[in-house]
Amino acid sequence: MNVQELLNRFREVAACPRAQMENYLKSGKKVVLTAPVYTPEEIIHSMGAVPFGAWGADIELNESKKYFPAFICSIMQSLLEIGIKGGYRGASAIVIPSLCDSLKVIGQNWKYAVPSIPFIPMTYPQNRKPDFGVAFTKAGYERVISDLGKATGLTFDDAALGSSIEVYNAHNAAMRELVGVLAAHPEVTNAQRSDIFKSAFFMLKEEHTELVRALIDALGAAEAGPAKTPIMTTGIIADAAGLTGILDDCGLQIVCDDVAAESRQYATDTPAEGETNLDRLALKFRNMDNCSVLYDQEKNRCKKIAADAKAAGAKGVLVILTKFCDPEEFDYPLIKKACDAEGIPVTVIEVDRQMVNYEQARTAIETFRDIL
Amino acid sequence: MAETTTKPRRQPPDPNSAKYKLGKIADDAYASAAAAKARGEMIGWCASNFPVEIPETLGLAVVYPENQAAGIAARGGGVTMCEEAESEGYSNDICAYARISLAYAKLKEAPVEPNVPMPDFVLCCNNICNCMIKWYENLSKELNIPMFIIDIPFNPDYEVSEAQIAYVRAQFWDVIHGLEKLTGKKWSDEKYKEVMEISGRTSRAWLAATACAKYTPSPFNGFDLLNHMAVMVTARGKKEAAEAMEILLKEYEQNHVEGKSTFRAEEKYRIMFEGIACWPWLRVTSTGLKGRGINMVTTIYADAFGFVYKDFDDMCRAYCNVPNAINLEHARDKRVKLCKDNSVEGLLVHTNRSCKLWSGFMPEMSRQIGEACDIPVVSFDGDQADARNFSEAQYDTRVQGLTEIMDTRKEAK
Ligand code: SF4
Ligand code: SF4
Repeated sequence: MNVQELLNRFREVAACPRAQMENYLKSGKKVVLTAPVYTPEEIIHSMGAVPFGAWGADIELNESKKYFPAFICSIMQSLLEIGIKGGYRGASAIVIPSLCDSLKVIGQNWKYAVPSIPFIPMTYPQNRKPDFGVAFTKAGYERVISDLGKATGLTFDDAALGSSIEVYNAHNAAMRELVGVLAAHPEVTNAQRSDIFKSAFFMLKEEHTELVRALIDALGAAEAGPAKTPIMTTGIIADAAGLTGILDDCGLQIVCDDVAAESRQYATDTPAEGETNLDRLALKFRNMDNCSVLYDQEKNRCKKIAADAKAAGAKGVLVILTKFCDPEEFDYPLIKKACDAEGIPVTVIEVDRQMVNYEQARTAIETFRDIL
Repeated sequence: MAETTTKPRRQPPDPNSAKYKLGKIADDAYASAAAAKARGEMIGWCASNFPVEIPETLGLAVVYPENQAAGIAARGGGVTMCEEAESEGYSNDICAYARISLAYAKLKEAPVEPNVPMPDFVLCCNNICNCMIKWYENLSKELNIPMFIIDIPFNPDYEVSEAQIAYVRAQFWDVIHGLEKLTGKKWSDEKYKEVMEISGRTSRAWLAATACAKYTPSPFNGFDLLNHMAVMVTARGKKEAAEAMEILLKEYEQNHVEGKSTFRAEEKYRIMFEGIACWPWLRVTSTGLKGRGINMVTTIYADAFGFVYKDFDDMCRAYCNVPNAINLEHARDKRVKLCKDNSVEGLLVHTNRSCKLWSGFMPEMSRQIGEACDIPVVSFDGDQADARNFSEAQYDTRVQGLTEIMDTRKEAK
């Protein structure tokens, strides 16, 4: 496939996750939903099921309002809405981590709102670095394994986990490399970049890696398009068509990101150390950092954003704040400070999954472009 | 989550009364922290549900930013402080306690009392919310002081697992050793045992006092509990607290015998109140009930601070079982029991914009409580400290609605 064909393929998958899910189900695969921000996907994969990202969607909310008050983020609201309306029918279970207050509460609602899809909690420690934290992560994984067994009838095998870890590490490496390659190719639009990241949630990682590798190769052979203004994005999600469209219209190019649904997913590999593969996976969580839902007394994430923006040559940082996401809202003032200290302009726009009118965002982004 | 405030008093209260003694304990906490600071000791800011046994046993003075924020909000300073935090870039969607506290960390003073000494370390425990972690991270970073955390995850199961106890126990010791190193204070098992015993005594008295709501009419106005619980949260391990709570129990029992109550109206209806008080609107919310003869006889706080445990592991378990750390079924059953034990006729739910965890599964849980107890459930929108997020008119309409349903049901009986 050439560059355009590959980009079209990513688009197809990103735009229609339900079709992807149907295909997997038709082929006899079990599908297990994975909620934001991190779940032990490798375990699900190793048991032979398809981990399927469930980060909500840009839809209207009706049913979710019977469970959530209005001030819970729209990612959780729309995830529940899709669940209630049957959009995930066929899935064997949903794994929801305990990483923020809204994630803690959605599981409780899910049990009653979507009883047909079992809720599997993944309770992560925030004190994840010391040995006792690693032991608790492992206990959480063991519980997920046991619940998955019940929900899918599939069994766990540590050697199979070893193979899945390789698949995931290879995918991480491909995604990290892709960011650099895309930075050198301004002709790939921000909307297309978003499709590549988004599609990763709806495909088996080995299939996604293959496409990403093909794209890297194809772009390597292609000539770079005319330069645009390089920026960095940060936030939980940044996949709204309305938003990426404005960035494209404004001649801005995302050259690196700290978006939870994008690069943050691929920052940490499972290490080689560890007695069993499950131990290795617990060490992966220990090693994870620089994320608003992971305890960080030093607030290193905020400094890292400034440093990354600088290193990638981004002229400014666009903070895409998901409304009612307090992990991100608490970090914003410190991100701003860290960027100010480095002389990097920062603009914040608030988004949610029900946004239809992007005019305010457009004005803010145009102003942002003009100062870069 | 837990907090209180002492309202300006109209008449000088009896110094032998529980009310006076409890108020004094709460006030003394600030004074003794200030005195410790003046002596050159290190003092901490501490999350409300952080194990008080740790600073108490180590002999460390701490103050509670949630209490402080509630106090500031009750005295009308909440909005000014919130706006200060917002000018720093904090979203107005963030918990108002956190906004007030972060503003205080910057200004080092508030337009109203209580002012508190600046901390040398912060003690964080997220058994009530993860918002707490983010808030304390920022305090620690902005003030450039160490942060100690005991991470107590939300428990999706009914019982606390052994893995969770092991994780929490290890963190207790980690924090104890860290604090010893930082402050030079020493942990003493003997002192801990004493604190544990006193805490048990205070808790038993609290449970018994709040259980006096089983009498009809109730010998107390449930709004009392909102004021007294600060002592339960922060000073359970102090002898004076045990004594004051025992006096409180005696007073309530005495009230019952004499047919008296601190609810100064005819008790026509008995409800459970769910959520944190709206501190800036305390009088409005309280009068809205009292004016209709509604006594809020119980809240989850009645159960929540019964910290009776037999050993260290059991203490860890108790901290894993605080209201915002337990699953819907466990949280529901505790409330159903309170409603049934205390002949509750209606549930009034505060949908608190500040608190995602507390409000996040409240609609479903309160539906289930309503069904299990066969009582009406009504909710109103508010905020525990940001006065802007409350509408007096809506509150009044909702409470009126609840009254009417309770009335109809009474007539049908
Ligand atoms: S991290 Fe933020 S966006 Fe994600 S579920 Fe939690 S509140 Fe919502
Ligand atoms: S978010 Fe809720 S539990 Fe946490 S500090 Fe605020 S009011 Fe308390």
